[in-house]
Amino acid sequence: MAKDGEKSDWKEFLWNPRTREFLGRTASSWGLIFLFYLIFYTCLAGMFALTMYVMLQTLDEHRPTWQDRLSTPGLVIRPRADDTFEIVYTKEDTESWDLYAQTLDKFLQPYNDSLQAQKNHECAPDKYFIQEDSGEVKNNPKRSCQFNRTVLQSCSGIDDRYYGYREGQPCIIIKLNRVIGLLPGKDNQAPYVTCAAKKDDADKIGELIYFPPNGTINSMYFPYYGKKAQVNYSQPLVAVKFLNITHNEDVNIECKINAENIPVGGERDKFAGRVSFKLRINSKN
Amino acid sequence: MGYGKSDSYRVATTQDKDDRSPKKKKGATKDMDDLKKEVPITEHKMSVEEVCRKFQTDLVQGLTNAKAAEFLLRDGPNALTPPPTTPEWVKFCRQLFGGFSILLWTGAILCFLAYAIQAATEDEPAGDNLYLGIVLTAVVVITGCFSYFQEAKSSKIMESFKNMVPQQALVIREGEKVQINAEEVVAGDLIEVKGGDRIPADIRVTSAHGCKVDNSSLTGESEPQSRSPDCTHDNPLETRNVAFFSTNCVEGTARGIVICTGDRTVMGRIATLTSGLETGKTPIAVEIEHFIHIITGVAVFLGVTFFILAIILGYTWLEAVIFLIGIIVANVPEGLLATVTVCLTLTAKRMAKKNCLVKNLEAVETLGSTSTICSDKTGTLTQNRMTVAHMWFDNQIHEADTTEDQSGAAFDKSSVTWLSLSRVAALCNRAQFKAGQDSVSILKRDVAGDASESALLKCIELSCGSVRMMRDKNKKVAEIPFNSTNKYQLSVHETEDPNDNRYLLVMKGAPERILDRCSTIMLQGKEQPMDEEMKEAFQNAYMELGGLGERVLGFCHLLLPEDQYPKGFAFDTDDVNFQTDNLCFVGLMSMIDPPRAAVPDAVGKCRSAGIKVIMVTGDHPITAKAIAKGVGIISEGNETVEDIAARLNIPVSQVNPRDAKACVIHGSDLKDLSQDQMDDILRNHTEIVFARTSPQQKLIIVEGCQRLGAIVAVTGDGVNDSPALKKADIGVAMGISGSDVSKQAADMILLDDNFASIVTGVEEGRLIFDNLKKSIAYTLTSNIPEITPFLFFIIVNIPLPLGTITILCIDLGTDMVPAISLAYEAAESDIMKRQPRNPSRDKLVNERLISIAYGQIGMIQALGGFFSYFVILAENGFLPSQLVGIRLNWDDRSLNDLEDSYGQQWTYEQRKIVEFTCHTAFFVSIVVVQWADLIICKTRRNSVFQQGMKNKILIFGLFEETALAAFLSYCPGMDVALRMYPLKPTWWFCAFPYSFLIFVYDEARKLILRRNPGGWVEKETYY
Repeated sequence: MAKDGEKSDWKEFLWNPRTREFLGRTASSWGLIFLFYLIFYTCLAGMFALTMYVMLQTLDEHRPTWQDRLSTPGLVIRPRADDTFEIVYTKEDTESWDLYAQTLDKFLQPYNDSLQAQKNHECAPDKYFIQEDSGEVKNNPKRSCQFNRTVLQSCSGIDDRYYGYREGQPCIIIKLNRVIGLLPGKDNQAPYVTCAAKKDDADKIGELIYFPPNGTINSMYFPYYGKKAQVNYSQPLVAVKFLNITHNEDVNIECKINAENIPVGGERDKFAGRVSFKLRINSKN
Repeated sequence: MGYGKSDSYRVATTQDKDDRSPKKKKGATKDMDDLKKEVPITEHKMSVEEVCRKFQTDLVQGLTNAKAAEFLLRDGPNALTPPPTTPEWVKFCRQLFGGFSILLWTGAILCFLAYAIQAATEDEPAGDNLYLGIVLTAVVVITGCFSYFQEAKSSKIMESFKNMVPQQALVIREGEKVQINAEEVVAGDLIEVKGGDRIPADIRVTSAHGCKVDNSSLTGESEPQSRSPDCTHDNPLETRNVAFFSTNCVEGTARGIVICTGDRTVMGRIATLTSGLETGKTPIAVEIEHFIHIITGVAVFLGVTFFILAIILGYTWLEAVIFLIGIIVANVPEGLLATVTVCLTLTAKRMAKKNCLVKNLEAVETLGSTSTICSDKTGTLTQNRMTVAHMWFDNQIHEADTTEDQSGAAFDKSSVTWLSLSRVAALCNRAQFKAGQDSVSILKRDVAGDASESALLKCIELSCGSVRMMRDKNKKVAEIPFNSTNKYQLSVHETEDPNDNRYLLVMKGAPERILDRCSTIMLQGKEQPMDEEMKEAFQNAYMELGGLGERVLGFCHLLLPEDQYPKGFAFDTDDVNFQTDNLCFVGLMSMIDPPRAAVPDAVGKCRSAGIKVIMVTGDHPITAKAIAKGVGIISEGNETVEDIAARLNIPVSQVNPRDAKACVIHGSDLKDLSQDQMDDILRNHTEIVFARTSPQQKLIIVEGCQRLGAIVAVTGDGVNDSPALKKADIGVAMGISGSDVSKQAADMILLDDNFASIVTGVEEGRLIFDNLKKSIAYTLTSNIPEITPFLFFIIVNIPLPLGTITILCIDLGTDMVPAISLAYEAAESDIMKRQPRNPSRDKLVNERLISIAYGQIGMIQALGGFFSYFVILAENGFLPSQLVGIRLNWDDRSLNDLEDSYGQQWTYEQRKIVEFTCHTAFFVSIVVVQWADLIICKTRRNSVFQQGMKNKILIFGLFEETALAAFLSYCPGMDVALRMYPLKPTWWFCAFPYSFLIFVYDEARKLILRRNPGGWVEKETYY
């Protein structure tokens, strides 16, 4: 009995034919409350839009308000390793490294000398390429310096289509994350990239060769003015070629940027101002 | 009237209650039915010899030791089985798994489930669900322990009430009087009791000398009842030859045979009945259950909606299930359990300070919901102390001061008649103060003697000074004590004047008997002949005082002529050899057990608070009605059917019962009422007095009120009240005069026995109910800004705006003190002027509260939070337009050059720091908007400007939550510990416009609400 009563109670709550109430409200009552919430939420949305609009007005078009989280720019390698930060391949197995070569091909495409010459400016090296706005008049668009693929020499993929992977002398390309206005290095002392094996693997890494020489990133590529002002900015690269790395063993390598005014990244962030990865080249002989 | 009065009512209560109650109680066990039946004692109708035979005992020798040992083995010790005590661990578990905790436990289990799913399917499961589960468990356990210890503390105070002194009894066994432990008394034992003893078992009196027992805890009669060997009534409770276990022998001595021991005694049966009664849920428990239903409904609705949405958006089943659980858990207000517990505890503490000790935390609120109070009379409404209330002399009724502190009006004491009257009252009086009480105020002194004589003694002592000196001056020469055939008491004294050798004869007794013996009357100090006119005046006064429910005594005196009774005359009291008629009538004095001073005011307050006060007493209707009128339970101008009949001079049957708002119902009539008639009475009379009710009937009355939907409070002190106390929604026992059984059965104890404390209880109860609403509204509001980030994270794939840790920081950190501070909020209007809440309509949490908290204020808060989230991301380079859909890349650990809107590139950790900064900012924003929420939650109808900011705890709460938020954001090491990061000062102000909007919006809403009472805004938003 009690259960039946409960059931019919529920039914009546759902639809009460006597008072014509659906879920305890009549149609007009539902209508009113819906209308209220419609108006209420419209007003709220308006208020939100207004505050967002005001906030967006306060932003600078070319430079974000805060950059303190980017004081140590990140370092990234190409070919891009997956979640495990490992580059592992077998020298003799073409398929195992073919993808790396293709990735680099694709990555270096915009750096083709012809493209660079077409879009970018040939700058005076070894000094910052500063293009100041003159007061209110914006000096836009800003020009960018050429970074020619050929600078990477044997890692450019022009002479050696396989970037040394086939020979077991792979190239890794390292780039410094773009940060607007960053001027690395002091007194025009250009920043440079160095790679080294981690503790135990010191004897396995063998000889390295950097392109451009010494792993230097020329000062002329700085500062960066943002993607709106400097549309064709070419991010400078450094290539590292491992000439005689021990095969068939894991080699843990850490590359880092060396510049006096770039602070060492925090303990937690493994990619600020440095980058670690594992390189393993398997060889069947 | 007078001495005979009580007898006449006894006749009326013949076979008070028989097999009626069991029929009414469906579903009660056979045992309980049995207990509700009348006491099966028949021994009072047997002759003494039959009783002796029945118990194999001897009237002189008593039981043999062997027999006694045998009976003891058979019947067990003569002690009440203590009610089964709940083991401590069960009590603890009840705290741990009861009510609100269930919600949190469910949440915790869901969290662990989600974590298990994640752990089984992902390589690096996020620990959030695990932590959340652990925190939820911790919260429930800690709160459970807290409330367990709170209640343990109250019950410890209870323990101290228990009277642990072992009782002794004087039994006659094998012809020798031995003092034994009362527990060893067995049926058939021959027992002797004397004044001051507690009766160790139910006994059939075989011989008595001026024995009087105080049955007030059993029947509610204030006056001691005399005991004698004769059966005077069929009802064992009414007859004079049975004395009951645990009642007190006030004076005299008696000898009797034990007929029942332990649980089989009348007292024992009531105690067993009481402990067997099932009690319902407290109103607040019902409310919390309703609240859980609503919260669960909302949680499941949101969860399922977004589960379906997630599936449509292409998430996998498993992900969708994790989201579902996440959303359901996010709806659980983690901090609310603790908040509610602390709020109730604070109120309990506040009430304890005002002498209301609450045994069960949930009962704190019950008095506030109470719509009917059934109050016992004796000891609760009255002082349980006979006091002279009126005097009639010089053909005029004078009122004596009956207040406890003698603050009442004094009458004219200059009349010579009064001097004579007081002399008679002082001399013809055997009561005297016990020694060593000179420092105690007169009214509080202990007196050896009969209740009415003590009343006279105290009255005279108060108005004329030391009675002892008066007695010393007027040496007693002879005395005839009161007996029921004479119905008078007389004594002969020497006069004060040493030169006057006459003797003074003083007499008091039943007024009509005294009048018969008088031929003159004293008026203004002069003796005048007693004419018809004076007799008429006497009758009127006598009727009037009797009608007030007072016990009236007449006083007369005579200076015996010296020629007939010279000095040294040998007065023979057995064979009266002196004049006992043609005396001079002096006056009448009437006594009553007066109401406590604070009661009328308290009853008035209850009435204006819409609470019906019903008097339920075991005492006589006339006394009950008089007291009811005295304390305002029957208010001035309201008449009973009988009053109307008397006024119009028509038979009672011709009066329309609807005309009478008040009614006095006799226990014997109650027994003949059907359930419908009973409901009818309870519904249609606003002022009801039940007189001559048995404990079982009290229970029926309470059940009747509850059947009509009332929330019933019962106050009482006697054992006879305890079944009703237990059955009531809240039983209120008296701490000083209350019996242990009643205290055990009650939920609340008035430590000062002051009925007025109930008003405090009602007030506090109502206030905490209102304030809990506010507290819950405040706490629930922040649920929306806590859930929406997760929803948007799922739906539009933005970086998570608010994390689990920050949510916990709000719920268990910043929101706590402000939510609790609302318990200190003062009432908005006079809560004692409004009707009690209707438990079926006025809910603690209703859809309007949810609509306001979730639909309106919560939404504004969420926008405030999102605004600061967007501000931080935009100022760091990620514009809102870029954020939608960024989630997969954003949360990709291997992507360390994610581009922002300006072309800068971010490593995983760098953007996570920004994300956690957003969490911190969102958290701070919630704190900021909660400022406004706290201020608007202070009131439900009034403007804050009307209410003021007088709640210091609340102001402290505002500063505390802000300080805590600042601490969490800026304290070094927080980035590692809780992943909270320092905010730029400007980010604190992002939510300010929204905080302001909340305040303005709600003030506007409340303004409309006040302007348009009953309008749409009130119907839809007044919670």
